[in-house]
Amino acid sequence: MGNKQTIFTDEQLDAYQVRDSILTFFLHCSLHGRYHELAPHLVPMDYTNDPDVKIPLALIVNMPELKENPFRNRIVESFSEDGQGNLSFNDFVDMFSVLSEMAPRELKAIFAFKIYDFNVDNYICKEDLEKTLNKLTKEELTPEEVNLVCEKAIEEADLDGDNKLSFADFENMISRAPDFLSTFHIRI
Amino acid sequence: MFQNIQVQKEIIANIRTKPWPIRRKLKVLKQAREIVLKYEGRLTRTRGYQAAGADLLKKISRVLYNIVVLFIPWEMRIKKIESHFGSGVASYFIFLRWLFGINIVLTIMTGAFIVLPELLAGPPFGTTRSKTIPKDHLASAQDLDTIWSLGGYLQYSVLFYGYYGNVRKIGSAGYRLPLAYFMVGMAVFAYSFITLLRKMAKNSRMSLSGASDENYTFCWRVFCAWDYLIGNPEAAESKGAAIVNSIRVSISCIQQTQINLSLAVLISLRILANILVLLSLTGSIYIIYFVVDRSQKLEQEKPELTLWEKNEVSVVVSLITMIAPSAFELVAQLEMYHPRTSLRFQLARVLVLYLGNLYSLIIALLDKVNSMSSAVRNLSDSTSYLATISQSTEDNLSTIIPDITERQNSTLTRTLLEMQSLLNQTVLYEYNTRSQQDPCWETYVGQEMLKLSIIDMIFTVASILLIDFIRGLVVRYLSDCCCWDLESNFPEYGEFKIAENVLHLIYNQGMIWMGAFFSPCLPAFNVLKLVGLMYLRSWAVLTCNVPHQQVFRASRSNNFYLTMLLFMLFLCMLPTIFAIVRYRPSQYCGPFSGQEKIYDIISETIANDFPLWFSKVMSYVTSPVVVLPALLLLFMLIYYLQSIARSLKVTNSQLRLQLQTVSYSKLNIIMMYFTHLQAPEGGDKKPEQESDITSMESSARSTSPPRRNGSITNFESPVRHGNSIRTITQSASRPDIPRAAGATQSPTHTYPCHMLHSLISRHSGYLGSTSGSCRSKSYHNMAYKPCTRYAENSDPLFRKTLRPMHTEPAVITAQSYVGHRAHSTRYVIINEHEARKKLMRSNTRIPRHYRLADEPTEIVELYPRNVKCYIPRPPHRSHQPHLSEEEEEEDPKSSTRRGSFRQSKRPRPLSDLHQTAGFYIGDTINSQLSMEQGLYSDEEEGDQEEDWVNDPQTNIRGPESAHRYGEPYVKPKTKHKVEPSLTESDSASLASSSDQQNSSTDQYIQVIHNKKKYLKSNAKLTKTKSKSSVKLNVSGTNDLVCSNV
Repeated sequence: MGNKQTIFTDEQLDAYQVRDSILTFFLHCSLHGRYHELAPHLVPMDYTNDPDVKIPLALIVNMPELKENPFRNRIVESFSEDGQGNLSFNDFVDMFSVLSEMAPRELKAIFAFKIYDFNVDNYICKEDLEKTLNKLTKEELTPEEVNLVCEKAIEEADLDGDNKLSFADFENMISRAPDFLSTFHIRI
Repeated sequence: MFQNIQVQKEIIANIRTKPWPIRRKLKVLKQAREIVLKYEGRLTRTRGYQAAGADLLKKISRVLYNIVVLFIPWEMRIKKIESHFGSGVASYFIFLRWLFGINIVLTIMTGAFIVLPELLAGPPFGTTRSKTIPKDHLASAQDLDTIWSLGGYLQYSVLFYGYYGNVRKIGSAGYRLPLAYFMVGMAVFAYSFITLLRKMAKNSRMSLSGASDENYTFCWRVFCAWDYLIGNPEAAESKGAAIVNSIRVSISCIQQTQINLSLAVLISLRILANILVLLSLTGSIYIIYFVVDRSQKLEQEKPELTLWEKNEVSVVVSLITMIAPSAFELVAQLEMYHPRTSLRFQLARVLVLYLGNLYSLIIALLDKVNSMSSAVRNLSDSTSYLATISQSTEDNLSTIIPDITERQNSTLTRTLLEMQSLLNQTVLYEYNTRSQQDPCWETYVGQEMLKLSIIDMIFTVASILLIDFIRGLVVRYLSDCCCWDLESNFPEYGEFKIAENVLHLIYNQGMIWMGAFFSPCLPAFNVLKLVGLMYLRSWAVLTCNVPHQQVFRASRSNNFYLTMLLFMLFLCMLPTIFAIVRYRPSQYCGPFSGQEKIYDIISETIANDFPLWFSKVMSYVTSPVVVLPALLLLFMLIYYLQSIARSLKVTNSQLRLQLQTVSYSKLNIIMMYFTHLQAPEGGDKKPEQESDITSMESSARSTSPPRRNGSITNFESPVRHGNSIRTITQSASRPDIPRAAGATQSPTHTYPCHMLHSLISRHSGYLGSTSGSCRSKSYHNMAYKPCTRYAENSDPLFRKTLRPMHTEPAVITAQSYVGHRAHSTRYVIINEHEARKKLMRSNTRIPRHYRLADEPTEIVELYPRNVKCYIPRPPHRSHQPHLSEEEEEEDPKSSTRRGSFRQSKRPRPLSDLHQTAGFYIGDTINSQLSMEQGLYSDEEEGDQEEDWVNDPQTNIRGPESAHRYGEPYVKPKTKHKVEPSLTESDSASLASSSDQQNSSTDQYIQVIHNKKKYLKSNAKLTKTKSKSSVKLNVSGTNDLVCSNV
């Protein structure tokens, strides 16, 4: 970070360190460095008195880690406290700790569900699936194909027959997925 | 106290597994740490020191861990690749690194036990015959081409088998080099086997859940398709293409509408392709054999070989390994399989090709060895003859004549004298020329292997540079001046073919294993090669490759790679073992010279260096009497284990089936329940609405108002429903009992619990949906009851069993997404819960003050988020009136502060912690009682409603809790003012705290019930009643409550 030195109180650092055994001090500083880089004019380097700073979604999705992700907006939104995509530094740390390698599967499943639940109704319904698919494939599939895939996916995972996926369905499905843990993480 | 601290520590340890916003985590963490800090010192001094020591240790281990991570080779590099190209490509590099690790160990083994002792203690270079370069080779020994073909100085160095002496003990310490050589040679294989198998076992254990045959093809395609690590536009594009591709493929699989224009043509094409592949395979094998044969002949004919002739074999083999895969790929296009199938075919073919190459090479080499060793036999005979001839006795001559006439095909003899003189000449000649050549076949094999490895490396480097780099450059810079788009049409960028590259690594490792016995430095060379490959490949991938379109599934393919590696290891071990067993070691070189067989070293050591009894024992052990039964035993063991595995698999599938049927049958029952309810619903609307609190509190079976109408059918179905669910909750709660006692539950429980948990929540979801379909409010409300009850009871428990940390049910219900339908109802209960807790806490006001004094900030922070969570849910609104009703009913005075109250209950985690704790201290009697009840309620969980009625304890508690119930009216508002001085709470275990929460629900129920009981229905209590009748009782009391309200 060069001569820019992030200032945290000891307590803050301590808390962060204990909270998340992977986030070491250095990583933490670098995380804050990244956070700072996103909006240098907004984020102070001095964090001793807990300033209430939030970075808007538009800036965060431009991070190289997220830039290519088709769900970047959803990711940021589901980690922001206000649901609009404005991330405080805490949210920011939270995001990368959930998306880190060490986060447990259940936690990842919870946030994956949030991410794929576009309309925030706590179900993944057909619209959500369609949106997911369209983002995933950049709308290369024909509407019929999308429709078919959505129906099939719901049919497969929907165990209670309500034609949409509740979190239980989702978790059940995702816990059996072989690749989920290896793919659902972001390296910062 | 100590328990409390333990619990707090547990919180600290597990805090990061919780799906809370980070602010809450920090808060909880801070308080937990405060408690720990405060009380830890108070216990005992030693414990304090212990704790401090543990803390220090933890810090140190953290630092060490970080340092270790720092030293994992290429971690950052791999991560970078991973983030650019996704985990598929990274898996290649991880595999490479893993192989590197294995080779490091092999190198250390050979280096420490063979090479170093020989260098340090063995006779120096030039002292013995096997360590001196023959005179006529000395001149050319330093020439580049000699060195290049591993002759000259290299041939007589520690690189190869031939250099090692056969002295039994070397150095002053008496190091048994030949024995060590043999043991290390075997240990290399043993170690490789063990590490491979362990890694595979670990992998398969990790992908245990993935191994299930449940199929979520489309879901996985959609939800797990995107690799979040991808950060490179090109990789993202190709990943997108791959996803579209895979989705299309699975669509076509579903539709089964393969429009094969001409099946006959396709079949014939495929047959043709297979024939082509077979031809090229046999062709490659033949070429290798031919080349080896030719080189052998050339060696015999020509004294000086050109560079090409010396390296012919390895160059040809490397060329084949490079070209054939591409040819196979071309051929595979003829076949028109699915990309995935064709990839599999391709891999299988390439593997067969590599194996064929290695095998034909080694067979040809061994063939050569055969002829060489027969020549050696000639030679040794003639030299021995030479020794005897120096004595030149007549008898000797007469014995030798037939031999010589046989072998030397002699034109030599007519008379004895003539023959003698001639023989003298020829033998001397032969001795001078051929024995100086020192045909050490082990060295020869080692040389060939090392040469092959080197050439392979060169070809790899060349192909990376030429095919990938130059092509990349051309495509990048010439695409403007070319008439077609180079980037997307013909040459494109080189693809990174994960599977084939991995196969190449495996092939390379196979070579190492094959040659390691004959050339102890081969692993060391391989280490260098892998390091180079790592850097080169990662550079090439980052600069000029795009990932392969058919992306291999990372986690599955890991074991796939390992399986192939294991296969390779086994097949590569065979020739070495065969050579060791079959061939006689060379006479004048190597550690085993002079022995009949290489493995004789073992028996010799046992005979000479061990005490007598040991050799005796060994002779017994190795006798067929012991070996055969042992083998038999092994076979039996294998069979037994296999059958056990099979039966476990069957059980597994049966259990899964059962689970499914259970869930479905339960759904059916619930459906029945609702269809039954629908009929009498209209008449019951109003009372139902009125009685919602109490009925909601109790379980589904006890709530049903239709029972009041006396309809038996309506009564029937809820009971069944209740039963079926109860079994689940009970079984789920069982693992929790030890927890409540402060112990940790056994991890074996977690899985079933988890399953059940998902079942139940699914269940509740279902309930929600059905009720959603019915508009009427009361019905809606009713529909929720079962799920509220069970979700409320079971959820925290499940959570707890899953993660020991999840002790605050409120938090879970507030944050987790389990059973969202049930969510809103749970919310209602929580609300009551809270109210009740307040009522109860009014006895022990201390913690609550703390909480409230502490909380406002948090409320402000968290509230928006919760609003976000709650508002969109339609049921919420429908429940609001009930809420208020409840509160009014329960606690009319507190309704004034409902607003703040409701706020405070959502971000409750801390408050829970403290208040329960305080509860524990403050009034021990109550808390003990409630603790007991907590335990009790845990045990019973599902069927409390039946049992507590009979339970004397609850009966006792009845009035008491009723008393508590009455209390809060005393001071509803002072709580804001009281100082948080008494806040320190040494709570009982958090588990018990949550139990208390549960129990508080129960208590509440009991309060009402017991009141009623006391008032009216005491007569109904009989311990000997059957369950159903007890339930009747319960329902009766409920009804009473309802009417009372």
